[in-house]
Amino acid sequence: MAIIEVVSLDKIYNDSAVEVTALKNINLSISSGEFTAIVGPSGSGKTTLLNLIGGLDYPTSGKIRVGDVWLNELKGFRLIDFRLHNIGFVFQSYNLIPVLTALENVELIMQLQGVSAKERRKRATELLHRVGLGDRCDSRPSKLSGGQQQRVAVARALASKPKYILADEPTANLDGKSTETLLNVMEELNRDEGVTFIFSTHDQRVINRARRVVLLEDGYINSDTFN
Amino acid sequence: MSYLKMAQRNLWRNKRRTVITVSSIFFATLFAVVMRSFQLGSYSLMIRNSIEQYYGFIRIQHSGYTQDPVLENTFESNRELLDKIQNISNVKAVTPRLETFSLASSGNISKGVLVLGIDPETETRFSNPENFLIRFKLTPKVIESLSRDSFLYPLLEVISKHRDAVFADKFELREIFADDPISHSKLRKILELSEVEGRFLSSNDRGVVLSSRLARFLKLEVGDSVILMGQGYQGASAVGVYPIVGIVKIPNPELDNRVVYMPLNLAQEFTNVLNRISYFAINLNNTSDNQLRITADSIKAIVTESYLDVKTWQELNRVLVQQIESDNQSGNAFLFLLYLVVFFGILGTVIMMVHERIHEFGVLISLGMQKHKLIFSLFLELVLMALMGIGFGFLVGIPIIQYYSFYPIRLSGDLANMMTEMGFEPLLPMAPVSGFVWGQGIVTLIMVMIASLYPIRKIIKLQVVSALKR
Ligand SMILES: Nc1ncnc2c1ncn2[C@@H]1O[C@H](COP(=O)(O)OP(=O)(O)O)[C@@H](O)[C@H]1O
Ligand SMILES: [Mg+2]
Repeated sequence: MAIIEVVSLDKIYNDSAVEVTALKNINLSISSGEFTAIVGPSGSGKTTLLNLIGGLDYPTSGKIRVGDVWLNELKGFRLIDFRLHNIGFVFQSYNLIPVLTALENVELIMQLQGVSAKERRKRATELLHRVGLGDRCDSRPSKLSGGQQQRVAVARALASKPKYILADEPTANLDGKSTETLLNVMEELNRDEGVTFIFSTHDQRVINRARRVVLLEDGYINSDTFN
Repeated sequence: MSYLKMAQRNLWRNKRRTVITVSSIFFATLFAVVMRSFQLGSYSLMIRNSIEQYYGFIRIQHSGYTQDPVLENTFESNRELLDKIQNISNVKAVTPRLETFSLASSGNISKGVLVLGIDPETETRFSNPENFLIRFKLTPKVIESLSRDSFLYPLLEVISKHRDAVFADKFELREIFADDPISHSKLRKILELSEVEGRFLSSNDRGVVLSSRLARFLKLEVGDSVILMGQGYQGASAVGVYPIVGIVKIPNPELDNRVVYMPLNLAQEFTNVLNRISYFAINLNNTSDNQLRITADSIKAIVTESYLDVKTWQELNRVLVQQIESDNQSGNAFLFLLYLVVFFGILGTVIMMVHERIHEFGVLISLGMQKHKLIFSLFLELVLMALMGIGFGFLVGIPIIQYYSFYPIRLSGDLANMMTEMGFEPLLPMAPVSGFVWGQGIVTLIMVMIASLYPIRKIIKLQVVSALKR
């Protein structure tokens, strides 16, 4: 069974003067262990789709199942709790908490989950080693490069043992070399530990590394190909 | 990573804003505490000077006396009653007095005065006028002899400025040299030169003691006589010539302008009221409103004579009560304005803080942080800032008010004259630390709580997606 099932999803923004149809009749199913890119030109609806799959926003119509839970049935603190335990997020602009060290950033999620101090310290250290930052545990984000910050973000996303990790244009702010390193880390985690990654991008080098490419155009799925 | 630690780091993150906010809370707390202490101190000075020194917290008097304080409304003094009242535990002192208005003259100067017939023994326990007896005076003669003394000549300028000034003790005299302290030997010399005679009354005295401003006005000294003229009991006229045995400097300027102390027996003779008094004045140990009421009630239980009234100073002296109340109101209004300014300062900080961090809030909530946890951590930051500001305010304010409540600031110059003319002692007293200090801290904390309604609302309504976009 697919871990994510998107059924005839529509998203219309009508908070401004003009209505914008960002997504139109999206049907998609994603299985555990996928390494999938959502691609398409700017404005095609990539972010909107990821936000909906991430439970950050509600669709205008249609529904999304994650595991055996329908996201539209979750409201308020239940939805927040669902995200905490099931979904990992990586953002384009890293979004680490500036007052926390790399280690504390990774620990934070586990702390919210109620993991014991000892265990979360152990796991956070492991994860930072895993993304190649074992020696930067005590650095604040401002002391890390963009690529390093994004790898901390990946470690943070992994910390909660989520069902899948959503990454909205994770390499958009990175140079070629950092992009390469980040993708290597993500690929390794996917291959060795079966972590499911869904990421959006319009960078051809990133697209080339994906094993499945969903192409969006004006809110429609134009193509869905497996490499 | 505890919330507290996170709050600390967040405060550290924008040091400048934290410092500005903390210092505004600090100044507000300091200012409020000091100002309130001044206010409360001045009320207790007013009460001390007029109630404790003269009026009494409770009076027992003829029921007609309140309306019409004349000799006809006096009553037979009663030693037994006095002793019974003195035995009530909260009663510090009881004293009988016969009070009458009369005209005092000397040469062709005269002035309306308040003749206080007192029992020197109980009055000493009550207001201790002897304490204010003048022992030193800078008469023109003193100044003249100074100008001839090369040792003391340099002090002439200061002393000339205080011509005719009177002092109850050497400490008071020394104070006129506060700007430029003088040696012991010079002080001793001046004290010797300026010493004047005078003593307080004893019960069988045939003389009187004058208040110092009155004596100056009538140009009278110890050894001179004063002529008193007034109405006696039941239409008789009261006239007498009395030698002045001492002069007292009463702190309350209003009284210092017009009091003549006379032994009770002599006053009864002067007014022709045999063994009658105007009232018993009573001072208390604990003067709080509550204790005042309780003590008044126990006195009422003792006083059985139906023609006698037991009244508290608040019932009798509406003017002073109103004066304090209106002053208190304007003081509180001022504090309210101060707090309003500080409140908007805090609110400004809070609004900036929220707007700066709205994106971060979006991140935390999308990662799975519950909104109430976020609110709590933000609230902790605000409380931490408030506590720092309040703490520093206390740290600086409390020693200041403790110090000045022991050593009140004595005004001099025009300001002092102005206050004296308005009937106030030229002192800026402060109330020592008590509940009002903590009250100011609590008010500030409450303001922070009110200000934190803004971020609470903001976080509750926060839309993750739009917060993330910022
Ligand atoms: N909050 C919003 N209000 C109105 N229109 C929006 C909003 N968010 C996105 N859109 C519009 O929806 C469309 C899809 O946007 P988005 O999902 O951000 O595309 P992409 O991430 O592929 O660039 C765009 O036309 C965009 O302008
Ligand atoms: Mg986008």
